[in-house]
Amino acid sequence: MADSPSPDSEPTTRTLLRRVLDTADVRSPRRRRSARNAIQRSVFETTSSRSLGSQTKTSVRRRSHGARSIGRLAHVQASAYLEKDTPRTLLKNILLTAPESSIMMPNPVVKLVPLSQVVQSYRRESSQGSLELQLPELDPPTTLGPGLPTSSRKKQRLRLSVFQQEVNQGLPLSQELPVNADSSSFTRSLNLTFTTPLQPQSVRRPGLARRPPTRRAVDVGALLQDLQDNSVASAPPVSRTDYATTSSPISELQPPLPEVTEAAGSEEAVRVKELEGSSEDEDTSGEPASPELATSTPELLQAKQSHEFLELPPPPGVGVLPSEPLEPVPARLPSRPRAAGPRPYRDPYRTGLSHYVKLFSFHAKMPMEKKAVEMVERCLDKYFQNLCNDLEVFAAHAGRKTVKPEDLELLLRRQGLVTDEVSMHVLVEQHLPMEYRQLLIPCAFSGNSVFPAH
Amino acid sequence: MARSATVSQRTKIKRTAPRGFLRRVFKRYKPHLRLEARGDLLVHLSCLLFIRRLAEESRTNAYENKCSIINKDHVVDAAKVILKKSRG
Repeated sequence: MADSPSPDSEPTTRTLLRRVLDTADVRSPRRRRSARNAIQRSVFETTSSRSLGSQTKTSVRRRSHGARSIGRLAHVQASAYLEKDTPRTLLKNILLTAPESSIMMPNPVVKLVPLSQVVQSYRRESSQGSLELQLPELDPPTTLGPGLPTSSRKKQRLRLSVFQQEVNQGLPLSQELPVNADSSSFTRSLNLTFTTPLQPQSVRRPGLARRPPTRRAVDVGALLQDLQDNSVASAPPVSRTDYATTSSPISELQPPLPEVTEAAGSEEAVRVKELEGSSEDEDTSGEPASPELATSTPELLQAKQSHEFLELPPPPGVGVLPSEPLEPVPARLPSRPRAAGPRPYRDPYRTGLSHYVKLFSFHAKMPMEKKAVEMVERCLDKYFQNLCNDLEVFAAHAGRKTVKPEDLELLLRRQGLVTDEVSMHVLVEQHLPMEYRQLLIPCAFSGNSVFPAH
Repeated sequence: MARSATVSQRTKIKRTAPRGFLRRVFKRYKPHLRLEARGDLLVHLSCLLFIRRLAEESRTNAYENKCSIINKDHVVDAAKVILKKSRG
């Protein structure tokens, strides 16, 4: 691109439009449709004058994208501005208002830099009013990125918006945020979207706005007031038992949550994070949510509390949230004793046995009594003792002090499971998963090698 | 592996062996002995087979008594038989 004015290697829509603005002569105002065609024609002219051969494909793509975005925005802006203005002013407005939606990282536009400083200083206020206004700006960046995978779940979007907050506030970005390559470039391009002025209310796609922002702001206000006022824990289990289905995951997650929060600095972030944890509990009841929560809690620690609260995915009941944060949030700070004091020794033993007990109930295919389950545990215990004794005898018979697989094979043979017809390899193949099979059955590989070596 | 392959029930069957648990149990009962690396997998295999046989036997007992629930007595009777069988 020898004659491109800007030094970027690949022309984006924005640079194309800029070039159009710089070079295009003023045309007489026309009707809406023809104005759009004029824009497209001018873009086409500039691109075709520059690009030949290999570049045409990319420029065609970008031109179509530009035309699409121009068309969309022109449709919005045309009615307001067409009476007085030329395509030049149209394009200027487009440049001002169009979100940076390309995946590639363009150079930050010079025009928007002074705005960025203004907006960032604006954002640094922690007042309620600024929060409410920042909300509509947050929505379009999260919804307008093509780099964002379309199947991104709400938690990913939550973390991304949290990341945006960090970027704005200059916090260290090296926190454990599972940002993959797509979203990293997306957030980098998102950096520029933050600098767009407050106009994008009109540009924002209404269909994608899922949450009513006004209601959230009120909740945040009440929440913050309550957080600052209340320091005494009201009865949390009362509110938690209301949600009986999620009581057990909550109780499980409580021990990790306070431990994680003690590492945190701020109290309020702790409270809101625990609130997050409980409300995410509501969302993910029944799912194995604890690993997710464990990864998301460090991220939540860093973000602004109000932002993360606002960015919550819409829970199954929005009404849950206003009632919930008031009661259990201040209650979780004082650590409560959860586990029983003296831990019996058999507990790890029984939890290990429970693996086999579950297998028993699976194979039985019939419902069982609780006493029957305990009976199975005792039988298994007895079986283990017999097993160990036998293995000891076998190893001693062979003059060894280590129990080897041959002793095990002898044991199975004496049990009648391994016969001359049914070898042990058959049993291994039938009952064990492939990873263990590979370890147990020697297999010949290329290069005259056998694994596992006998 | 016909039956275990189709987990139509809501329970998830974990196929991994609790190898650490098996080693600890062995150490608890026989601290002077050592268990080899692949030995605990075979111990797991023998436990699986034991549990399978026990479940079959108790199910049979429950059918014979025409109960739809496996009782403690069924399990006890089954255990007597199967433990005797797997004495080695």
